[in-house]
Amino acid sequence: MSTFIKDFIEREKISRRNLLLAAAAGLTATSMPRMFGPGMAQADAGGWSLAWSYRDRASAYWNAIVSGGEAYTESLGLKKEDMTNLINEGSSEKSLADIKAFLAKNGGKGAIACDANDSPNARPVAEAVKEAGGYVSTIWNKTDDLHPWDIGDNYVAHISWSGEKPSAQAAKILFDAMGGEGGVVHLGGIPANIPAIERLNGLKVAQKDYPKIEILDTQPADWDTTKAAALMSSYLTKYGDKIKGVHCANDNMAYGVLQALKAEGITLPVVAFDGNPEAVDMVMKGDLLATVFTNPHWGGGIALALAHQAAIGKFKPSDEPKEHREFYGPSILVTKADAEDFKKKYLDSTPKYDWTDKWGLSAGQIEYK
Amino acid sequence: MQNVLTRDNLLKWAPLLVLLALVLFFSVINPNFLSLRNFARLSISASPALMVAVGVTFIIIMGSIDLSMEGAVSALAVIFCYLLVWLGGSVAGLGCIAIPAILLLGAIVGAINGYIHVKLRIPSFMSSLAMGFVGTGAAVLMTGGNIVKIDDEVFRSLLTYRLLGFPLMAYVAFAFLLLGWVIQSYTRLGRNFYAVGGGEDLAHASGVHVKRVRVLGFALAGFFFSVAGLLQVAKLGQAESVTGANLMFISITSVVVGGVALWGGIGGVWNALVGVLIVAVINNGMIVIGIPDFIQDGLLGLLVIVAVVLSTDRRSVAFVK
Repeated sequence: MSTFIKDFIEREKISRRNLLLAAAAGLTATSMPRMFGPGMAQADAGGWSLAWSYRDRASAYWNAIVSGGEAYTESLGLKKEDMTNLINEGSSEKSLADIKAFLAKNGGKGAIACDANDSPNARPVAEAVKEAGGYVSTIWNKTDDLHPWDIGDNYVAHISWSGEKPSAQAAKILFDAMGGEGGVVHLGGIPANIPAIERLNGLKVAQKDYPKIEILDTQPADWDTTKAAALMSSYLTKYGDKIKGVHCANDNMAYGVLQALKAEGITLPVVAFDGNPEAVDMVMKGDLLATVFTNPHWGGGIALALAHQAAIGKFKPSDEPKEHREFYGPSILVTKADAEDFKKKYLDSTPKYDWTDKWGLSAGQIEYK
Repeated sequence: MQNVLTRDNLLKWAPLLVLLALVLFFSVINPNFLSLRNFARLSISASPALMVAVGVTFIIIMGSIDLSMEGAVSALAVIFCYLLVWLGGSVAGLGCIAIPAILLLGAIVGAINGYIHVKLRIPSFMSSLAMGFVGTGAAVLMTGGNIVKIDDEVFRSLLTYRLLGFPLMAYVAFAFLLLGWVIQSYTRLGRNFYAVGGGEDLAHASGVHVKRVRVLGFALAGFFFSVAGLLQVAKLGQAESVTGANLMFISITSVVVGGVALWGGIGGVWNALVGVLIVAVINNGMIVIGIPDFIQDGLLGLLVIVAVVLSTDRRSVAFVK
């Protein structure tokens, strides 16, 4: 190697090291006020730091999850900024790396709630937390063979939401609105997503009690409004007047369906899932027949509460029964009859929850098929 | 007569022939496909994508690429909705100012995009992609993850009002397509796009102000992205931070499938139209003839490769990178 190239490489190395050092200095500077500022307040969390690790802030759903985490943090007498947001942007690697960094920064004293982004990532997250001595609760994503009790007290709990039963309830409302007969089309989420599969199963289960109902087609629209509008148009071309009702796996797709129908001047009964504020307004107006609310505010709060209360020794996870370690969150069906009350209670104002009542809204132990 | 079937002519019309073959294919399997109502549905799903495709066509003709469309469309759609609501909520009143305002803003955003690419000498691929992220980030920041709804029936008539079976937005999209064609064929700027794409050094040596042409090209693309944003809002009655999602794949694929060469200098807005229709027809046709959902994505990919093979002239290109 010529000396010129050697020198060049050496110079580059040095300048890169300087850059890294500068970056590290910058990071320390931003974290300094946090170390000194809320130092007093952190005592209220029993010396533990709180964090929520989730996908992004681009949807009403995750915002509601975060608001729950913040509500729990405030219930400890802290400011909501004292809960750290670890945003993984849909990357499992970032999710794990953020959690490790958070634990390292706090000397392992981290109480974390997390959606691991995809199922296989839950195990490395749980193991990393255990190794560092922190506490974690997960929601939604985890493989069926991973259980909190196998990892130990550091993996406090896992919460999921059953898609099948509420989706079947919504489907029944749809079938009744159709007079118990005719064709139904389903618009599903991303094909391999567990909630997408469960919500489609719900439709199929409900159909068994209605022999005159025919499920014409089930296609994915990837949870997306634009795709759902295009898919609904294609359904109309293929099945025309045979379609008497529409079953959507989430609210966002229902918005697209309603617009595709509006373009043609057609009205059909449509049911959806998620209970987003816009969807509830549509239920009140009668545009949407029903939607299912999963109370993400409570889910976000209780997941963090479980991790933190286990961390400060309020309860010992291994003393709890399995239905307290793996459980379904609540699902509420919203129809026109109760939409107004629902909106007042859950959307216009956020109910105050007693976060020490950890399993009060649980809908039972998670079942595996 | 023997001159009609020359290689050049075949290549020129190949995308259109691919489109006609696809329409024929789907119609034979399900006659419902070949109906005015289905074509109207196709026009609704294709209109915003067409505007993005026309915008990016100018950039691709220059041999560059613009990947800012998703963020730009989302941000512009969100700003439009907020502006319209703030100005009274209806385009029949003061709200009509929101439309030219957003078209102007689109052009400004595009110009900034182009300026960053030219001034900082960042490859357009990277600078525009980064600007796209800025756009998406801005949309998230503005909406906080929520949806902005537009219920103005006058504006929504773009979707609901029909003329000869087609919604108004299809005519609007066609009018802007014609505008794009005029710019491409009858203005100095349009010819300069081809000059830059055909050989930047030559264009520069011939006195073309290449940097200015590039910035103007990106501004023009931004203008068309804002039209796409307006049509998305007209189509869905709402805007959010993911309003522009998926438009990158659809528009770039369409432009290439339609016969615009990624290495620049070849093709035009009509190719973009044919390309958008090909992709829309494939997507709609696969549902209509009942292809199982788990092979649709794979099939779309294969059809895109076939369409590109048939519709681009690769013989004159020394190497493809």
